[in-house]
Amino acid sequence: MVTVSISQVREHSAKILPPRALWVPFPFGLPLGHAGDVEQQRRVLACAFDLLLEPSGPVLRDLAGDEEEEEERGAPVQASEVAQTGTPPQDVAMELLLMRQHHERWQGRGGRTTVGLTRIPPRRFRGVVRFLEAFADGSDADMAERPADVEPQLWIRWCVDDLKALYVEGRLSMVPEETADAAARWLWGETALGDLIRRVARRMESSADPPMRAAAYGIAR
Amino acid sequence: MPRLDRLSQVQRTMLLARPVEVNRTAPWTPPPAPLAAMRLALVTTAGLHLLEDRPFARDDPSFRVIPSSAGPSEIRQSHSSLAFDRRSMMQDLNVVFPVDRLREMVKEGAVASLGRSHYSFMGALSDVDPIRGPAAIVADELLADGVQTVLLTPT
Repeated sequence: MVTVSISQVREHSAKILPPRALWVPFPFGLPLGHAGDVEQQRRVLACAFDLLLEPSGPVLRDLAGDEEEEEERGAPVQASEVAQTGTPPQDVAMELLLMRQHHERWQGRGGRTTVGLTRIPPRRFRGVVRFLEAFADGSDADMAERPADVEPQLWIRWCVDDLKALYVEGRLSMVPEETADAAARWLWGETALGDLIRRVARRMESSADPPMRAAAYGIAR
Repeated sequence: MPRLDRLSQVQRTMLLARPVEVNRTAPWTPPPAPLAAMRLALVTTAGLHLLEDRPFARDDPSFRVIPSSAGPSEIRQSHSSLAFDRRSMMQDLNVVFPVDRLREMVKEGAVASLGRSHYSFMGALSDVDPIRGPAAIVADELLADGVQTVLLTPT
């Protein structure tokens, strides 16, 4: 079988030595280039498949013509980098109601959704919020929807990721041209959900349970 | 991504500390035919799966099967990393899993056909050894389906 790889970390590919690899200068998560840029995606694929013409390998080639991408930052703003502005709003349930409306607009315009890790439909996300609030406040809260073979810390992550996805997709409907950093600063600095997730992360970090502590890493991102 | 020397010290250290397979040789399989005559499948480490599949956990070495007929609305991503902004993937699955572009290539005759299924693993694994067994199963399934070329995409 013949393989062609797209590489985002040139230094790793130089060690792994895949037979054919095309290094691309795009930010992590975008190995084919930017959303909606069909021509760029087609060009990346064409350059990758050109490697099939090489008579021998391994071959690690750079995608030509996108050097300006190198100026982009490597990762979006993290919660820890964002100062909350004043007293953050507290009522996640009310905020959620508003964000659900924006999310429905997002989907109504043909936007795909990445919500669904918990399999709980957004109209029942108030229950997810209540669960996370109770957990953040120190209770041994749980949800009937958590499958028995899914550890609590993994379930918390799925709950957080589903809520974040709904907010971020709703925000895309509200401010389509917003930069990634501006969207992250809004989520972590201005929303009640951002504050709730920070509190969930703090509770996990202070847990006596090592798997729960380990799962705290990256919850507030 | 930006070259390592353009990243923050934290990111650079994190990437350089991540265990990677170090090889001295690379297996070389010449293409048996031009791309236009080959069957192709995608294998990604983007942590993708169908809505009804179990999401990935961190360091999960298992894989998920994604029928090549699956539409973008059926696919979810449970790999969320500090390192990437998921908004692009929310807007366009093709940034990481170029199914629409590959279907176009089949229509245009640039690729003969797509395999019955594509496959996804979790990204950012801290140990590569546990993935060897599942990867061999995926390779066997691809070969059984007559797939001749695989495009590997990271996140």
